Amino acid sequence: MAELHIIGQIVGASGFPQNSLFCKWGIHTGGAWRLLSGLKEGQTQVDLPSTGDMAYWSHPIDIHYTTKGLQGWPKLHLQVWHQDSFGRCELYGYGYCHVPSSPGHHHVSCVTWRPLGSWQEQIAQTFVGGGPQLRSPDLIYSGADRYRLHTVAMGTVELELGIIMRHFDRYGVES
Amino acid sequence: MTANSPSVFLLMINGQIEGANFPEYDDLYCKYCFVYGHDWAPTSGLEEGISQITSKGRDSPHRLVWNFPLEITFKSTNPLGWPQIVVSVYGPDTFGNDVVRGYGATHIPITPGQYVPLIFSSTPLSTPPLIKDLLSRHTRTIPMFVPESTSRLQKFTSWLLGRRPEFTDPKVVAQGEGREVTRVSSQGFVTLSFNIVTKDMKRLGYDTTATETTHTHTHPVAAGFGPGNQTLSM
Repeated sequence: MAELHIIGQIVGASGFPQNSLFCKWGIHTGGAWRLLSGLKEGQTQVDLPSTGDMAYWSHPIDIHYTTKGLQGWPKLHLQVWHQDSFGRCELYGYGYCHVPSSPGHHHVSCVTWRPLGSWQEQIAQTFVGGGPQLRSPDLIYSGADRYRLHTVAMGTVELELGIIMRHFDRYGVES
Repeated sequence: MTANSPSVFLLMINGQIEGANFPEYDDLYCKYCFVYGHDWAPTSGLEEGISQITSKGRDSPHRLVWNFPLEITFKSTNPLGWPQIVVSVYGPDTFGNDVVRGYGATHIPITPGQYVPLIFSSTPLSTPPLIKDLLSRHTRTIPMFVPESTSRLQKFTSWLLGRRPEFTDPKVVAQGEGREVTRVSSQGFVTLSFNIVTKDMKRLGYDTTATETTHTHTHPVAAGFGPGNQTLSM
């Protein structure tokens, strides 16, 4: 079987309304993929940057997959949350990116979005915070049920991913 | 280990902790150590070290230079648990006690090669790290952060006593588990450069570099590979 190693970091995020942020992340794969070892989901630290707009997490990722097929190549999905000084959390963005499909070191920028509520909800959000969230987080990485969803752009998450592939060439896979 | 059928691969790391950028602090030194998985073992070199104390120059008010060497070789059978370097920076507070000014970690680059000194020397340390990382593959500018007090009372007492929270073991910054309970404040950067040599990775079947033209990360994943339900015949 072919093997895939994903080794890297969720570096941080910028471009959000507040810079005190943390991130929940996970990796979704198709049925042919099997996780051998490593964590496939987690949550980063909360960073309150002393200077600048970017929150840094330096969250390590080290995962080992084996696969029988290319379908369902791993996708990394992210939820960026804001934590205020009272410890209250508020959703700031959803995003996903495909894990790069060629070996080597990759810098990946993942754009994010957030659901936009009705105008009443938007007014309420400006005063009391909060806001609509997805009921099923599968929507973050699937394109099937996105229609009728109204969203707004949020910031960008930066990742550094190293990809090591093994025995893909044995099956004629060109990456 | 015979030359024909290797069972381990080697990862040789030569590099240096070039320096740091901490706008608010001066007279800093750093410590480094490596964190790696069960299958990994160092075969030569130093696993940890402490640098000299460095001060900001008059001509470069943001730049702290350590020029501190890193030389270590690892062997392993599995890339899982790829070594990470953990750097922690310390400096005196107003009372002269050493307090931590930042923790940071990064994976050792997985691809063989070396960093390009030309690019670095023409860019000041204060440039945004991500742009520079794109330019030279084996320079890493890592963000440095310190843990924050969990309550306001602790924050007050730590201010009163001049003692700030520290990690008892800096190696926690290289772990992905249990991070959700920590609140940190990032306040500077450390720049590292690496020369990486690997041995027998290719022979064990591991690809760490793209074979032909480099694909960008925006390139769609091989979606059109064969019929929809095809699996690799294995």
